[in-house]
Amino acid sequence: MGDSMSISGHLAHWIVQVRWLWIFLSLVLVLGIGSGMRFLTLDPDARIFFAEENPDRIALDAFEAEFAKDDNLLLIVEPKDGQVFTPKTLAAVGELTEKAWLLPSVRRVDSITNFQNTSAEGDDMTVRDLIEDPVNVTQAEADAAKAIALDRVSLVHSVISPAADVTSVGVLFRLPGKDTTREVPMIVEETQVLVKEFRAAHPDIRLRLTGSVMMNNQFAVSGQEDAATLTPLMFGAILLIVFLAFFSVTGVIMTLLVIICSAIIGLGALGWSGTAMNSVTISAPLITMTLAVASVVHLLASVRQTMVETPDRKEWARRALEEHMGEISIACITTAIGFLALNFSISPPFRELGNIVAVGVIAAMVFTLTLLPALITFIPMKRHLKPARTDRFMRPIAEFVIRWRKAVLWAGITAVVVLMAGIPRLALEDDFVRYFDERYEFRRDTDFFENRLGGMNVLEWALPAGESEGISKPDYLKKVGAFTEWLRAQENVRHVRSLTDTIARLNMNMHGDDKAYHRLPDGADEAAQYLFFYELSLGYGMDLTDQINVDKSKLRVSVSMANVTTAQMHDLTADAKNWLEANAPEMAVDPTGLSHVFNQISYRDVRAMLLGTVFALIAISMLILLILRDLKLGLISLIPNLIPAGMAFGVWGYSVGAVTLAIAVVIAMTLGIVVDDTVHFLSKYKEGKRKGMNAEDAVRHAFDKVGMALVVTTVGLVAGFVILAQSGFAVNGDMAKLTAITITLALVADFLLLPAILIALDRRNETMSIKTATTAALALVVGLGAMPKAQAQSAEAKGLTIAKETDRRDIGWGNFRSSGQMILRDSAGNESRREFEGMNLERTGAGEGDWSVIVFNSPRDINGTATLTHSKIEPADDDQWIFLPAVKRVKRISSSNRTGKFVSSEFSFEDLGSQEVEDNTYKWIRDEQCPDQPSLTCHVTESYPRNARSGYSKRVAWTDTTEYRQWKVEFYNRRGDLEKILTSKGYKQYLGKYWRPATLFMQNVQTGKSTTLNFPQYQFNAGLDEGDFNAQRLPRLSR
Amino acid sequence: MRKLSVSLFFAFVLSALPVVAEEAFLGTDFSSLEGSVELESTLFPESPLFTGQENNAVSFAIRAKTVLEWNETFLGGSDATLTITPFLRFDPRDDERTHVDLREAKLDLRFGETDVTIGNDFVFWGKTEVDQIVDIINQTDGVEGTDGEDKLGQPMIRISRLVDVGELSGEASFFYLPYFRERTFLGEESRLRPAVIVDGDNARFETGAEELTPSFAARFAGFYGDFDLGFSAFHGLSRDPAFELNPGSFDPATGDFELRPVYGRITQVGFDGQYTADATLWKAEAIGRFDQRNLSFEREDYFSGIAGLEHTLFGVAETNADLGLIAEYAYDSRGDDALTVFENDVVLGARLALNDTQDSSALFTAAIDTETAETLLRLEGERRIGDIAKLSIEAGAFLNTDNRSLANQFQDDHFLRATLAVFW
Repeated sequence: MGDSMSISGHLAHWIVQVRWLWIFLSLVLVLGIGSGMRFLTLDPDARIFFAEENPDRIALDAFEAEFAKDDNLLLIVEPKDGQVFTPKTLAAVGELTEKAWLLPSVRRVDSITNFQNTSAEGDDMTVRDLIEDPVNVTQAEADAAKAIALDRVSLVHSVISPAADVTSVGVLFRLPGKDTTREVPMIVEETQVLVKEFRAAHPDIRLRLTGSVMMNNQFAVSGQEDAATLTPLMFGAILLIVFLAFFSVTGVIMTLLVIICSAIIGLGALGWSGTAMNSVTISAPLITMTLAVASVVHLLASVRQTMVETPDRKEWARRALEEHMGEISIACITTAIGFLALNFSISPPFRELGNIVAVGVIAAMVFTLTLLPALITFIPMKRHLKPARTDRFMRPIAEFVIRWRKAVLWAGITAVVVLMAGIPRLALEDDFVRYFDERYEFRRDTDFFENRLGGMNVLEWALPAGESEGISKPDYLKKVGAFTEWLRAQENVRHVRSLTDTIARLNMNMHGDDKAYHRLPDGADEAAQYLFFYELSLGYGMDLTDQINVDKSKLRVSVSMANVTTAQMHDLTADAKNWLEANAPEMAVDPTGLSHVFNQISYRDVRAMLLGTVFALIAISMLILLILRDLKLGLISLIPNLIPAGMAFGVWGYSVGAVTLAIAVVIAMTLGIVVDDTVHFLSKYKEGKRKGMNAEDAVRHAFDKVGMALVVTTVGLVAGFVILAQSGFAVNGDMAKLTAITITLALVADFLLLPAILIALDRRNETMSIKTATTAALALVVGLGAMPKAQAQSAEAKGLTIAKETDRRDIGWGNFRSSGQMILRDSAGNESRREFEGMNLERTGAGEGDWSVIVFNSPRDINGTATLTHSKIEPADDDQWIFLPAVKRVKRISSSNRTGKFVSSEFSFEDLGSQEVEDNTYKWIRDEQCPDQPSLTCHVTESYPRNARSGYSKRVAWTDTTEYRQWKVEFYNRRGDLEKILTSKGYKQYLGKYWRPATLFMQNVQTGKSTTLNFPQYQFNAGLDEGDFNAQRLPRLSR
Repeated sequence: MRKLSVSLFFAFVLSALPVVAEEAFLGTDFSSLEGSVELESTLFPESPLFTGQENNAVSFAIRAKTVLEWNETFLGGSDATLTITPFLRFDPRDDERTHVDLREAKLDLRFGETDVTIGNDFVFWGKTEVDQIVDIINQTDGVEGTDGEDKLGQPMIRISRLVDVGELSGEASFFYLPYFRERTFLGEESRLRPAVIVDGDNARFETGAEELTPSFAARFAGFYGDFDLGFSAFHGLSRDPAFELNPGSFDPATGDFELRPVYGRITQVGFDGQYTADATLWKAEAIGRFDQRNLSFEREDYFSGIAGLEHTLFGVAETNADLGLIAEYAYDSRGDDALTVFENDVVLGARLALNDTQDSSALFTAAIDTETAETLLRLEGERRIGDIAKLSIEAGAFLNTDNRSLANQFQDDHFLRATLAVFW
């Protein structure tokens, strides 16, 4: 073992050796990096989705600098009697308006009571609150106010519903912008107090809350709720899956330790980087843990296999590491690459998510390869003595694909095409209101608001007049007025706020409320004068700065839309632009506003992430090529890596349609995850091919080897993402759902499509005889070059080398069960049959041979007779016991009889005992074509028993040069005459490594008797241990 | 006949079990039903000593065995095996010999290194060939064989655990035996019966709980290199009865009387060992038993031991046959008061295994009392016929018997027994 140890073997050995170090380092790492978590805060701003460099955001920022940043709160008042204009309701609204002024950072409060109503007073114009004294209002005054309110285009669908049954109190804030994580929550807190008091005082009024402040708050709340509700779910699922997989509580504990540490590292790193968390990154720990579980399960599954063979926990850890270090690293690295590709996103939360998860996954890799092995050696784990028998579970699928490969291929292609055809049905839908589902009060209140009163989605136009003070020019105003009217006529438009309405009204007021003058003034100075008078008369905070910019060169037109899709807003934006270009080309600007930026973000991000996805694809494909070292397989791997995401989009398109910006990141994200399945499958396929299997067998081999593991990891990952999909926040929910679908489809593609493609492509290659011939010629040249060197070795040394190689290739099989049949034939051809079941256990200790139990089933009279043999290296005798069922007696028997015939067969005890290299001396004779195997070359070697009690003077064996299988052995007796010939047939490979013949045929050339030994079935990893090979237990093994 | 019908019912139910199991009703991972029917004929060349006995006897027996196995299903994922082996002997001459026994009716549970057995089972202790004095768990089935090696199933709860102490590797077992099975005795008409009839149905117990008196036993058996060792201890009702006059059986007119068995509480410690040296097996057994009533109905503590060897000559006379030579010496400190015939005897024997396809083999033993030269000869031979049948021959002769010896009562019972068993 020592010198042939691989790099991973050395590493594994070393990792287990210094295991204390890992505990210590992990502790340091977790405490060190994890302490960054104390800096973590939650940023409750919807604008986190917009990067600084996002052009839409830049435009929005510029707009808000010119006018105002509308952080608003809408208090929606719904009197239960359906009448806003009653003294009672108006009093309550008046009270609410007053109290709203007391909220922090309030800039302005707009309600039906403090509406600045203008009217003519002779030649003069007065501006008054619509309800001047809400507390003492009479029904007559209320009715008058109602008439006025419903007449005002600026009020209806904004402050008052057309039926006058719902009204709103709008509160505008000017946030200091110093501590974004505290300001909004503070306002919300105080608002809640206000609302509580109001509701208590006015039980006959239903009060609802919406507005951007509430929305921002919702981003924070849903993030926290996700963390609070999904995390326990996730732990529960992980607990369950790991427990079900291993039935081990300590396994669960170790898993939790590793995944929690990984998540802490990810979060800690974020904390140190000084970035606040947000509603997207809050899912990072959950994603990290889901991905980390896969690594942990991978390692523990190996432990589960090893524990069957040895109680040495260090060996469990060492072997798990040696065998799976590579796979786990690759899986983690590709996953990390996929997530790092999220840095191409234009939306910072996704970049942060990608980085946190990437750090977390790499941490998971490190912990899985260091801390976990250390824990395995320290924490006692329940030792299962039966292996988890899963290797053949996948066989039916393999056989199905192989049998129906053409159908599968065509059905697969059809399915891919049909599903991908659903992609155009996808509608990018980024409505921040609908990011939150109906479980949230905010969403319900906002829906109510949009159904009954106004619209939350607002498009803002800042229409340029072209010069300072230019807004009062009649020509400009007329164009703005026309645009306003055009907008009002559009579908889905609830409310348009435009100063032209106010100016028209003022014009009428100035003309003694003559309705004929309810139009924009014709003179150049009139509008300016009206506005001047008007502004002078306005109440506190009611100025026009949020509608006119400072140098009076731009007017703001705000369009509120209700229940619209992103596409509809896009349409309106485009239509508006067309209208402006046709009618007012000098003011043909794009709209802005929060809704607009959200509208654009998906379109922008899909394009940005396309690049990111290509980057991830290239990086990951290079890795795959490095691992597989096969260009063809590398190219094939692209199919199952990319298609699943496309199919998932199609499924989504058919079933849901609307999708948030999460879709942009899904391909890159899932690529790193699903690629593991492909890599595992393809590498096992390649391993099979390298062993000389045909494509079908290589596919079977791949299914046997990794089929179950892929199912288990997929189930784990899908479970994790399904839990995350329960988030009420659509961005996270969609991302998780799409990922879950993608991962599932990836497994389907790997299990059905990939094998079908592999077999199909392989068939085509078989006809490429030229290529094969070239390879053969090349091999010949190489072989010729190698020949003289081989012959330089002495015949004895070469014989020993062959014996050692044969032995080496049969190390590590662990244990197996077999059932066999023995057919004894005498020279006259009379047959006698025996059936038995065998159990074998590999022993590796010094001077030890393997252990075996044989239980006879037939003939019936010896049914239950069992022998137990503990083999020893020659010349020591084996320890052997026999169980006689008739008297239930276990008896130690002498095994000194090497030459005796085993149950009167042609096999002597010597022939059946375990063969050890040290039993003989060897000599290589020649290489020639194997007997009955024209395609194989065999080493012909002679071996001479060291033990004088052996029945043979020598054996001549034919061992093939590729797999070191013995095809034929000639036995020469003590006199030197050929006595018996053993022929082996039907070699089958088990565990992808160990060859066992299905038939052994021993012909005694002296007597003409023969014995056939049939082993139709070997079951490796049969869960046998030393306890099964105990003499005292023989009675219970015989049944 | 009632016994017979009951047993037929048993056989019917049992044969149905695996069928049911195979329908996945019981979810078994393995199930089997097998058994044998055997026809036995015994010839006694000498005239019988007692009236009513005849010179030949014919009987038949049925044995069925059902095994149901579940993997990793029971209590915390243990393997479980349910074994039920009913046995029926029908002897038209002797009602005592016609009997039914549940030889095995047990559930074996396996928890890793620990095995638990609940139910009727057989447990064999010992190493030597002629007799196994340490073997005490199962009661002897006195009506079945001619050599006392047939046993009755013993209800038990056994907990065993594999134990490795350095190089010594073996198993420690603890037995709780809640129910005592009385020995069976041949009836009046049977040959090979003792001179005095023993009324096995009227046994007396020296414990209040009678057959419900629990017994306890512990054993460690294992091996250390070439040594196989067993240590055992037993406390409870002795499987070997003492005898007293069966009340009311004395007939003053004829002087005839019957005995009845008396079972008392004893304690026994035992050792058995074997050293395997190439082709020679050295064997020894020894027990100390306390409070056992002897043949004179006196309670005493005694020692008994057997030691000997078995040497095998492999491939004798250039054939495949193996010849084993056996020599053992048996000693019992009670001497003539011993309840066994092997109280100070040398046993010589030979075992021949032809190693042919029919597994033909034979065993010949001669037990010679070193004081009286009383000699018991036995020959056993068997050979398979075809694939499903087996013919066994058993012969015994009692030489140099005198009235001092227990074997005296069998002096005219030399016998030749042939058994044909058909397996299914």
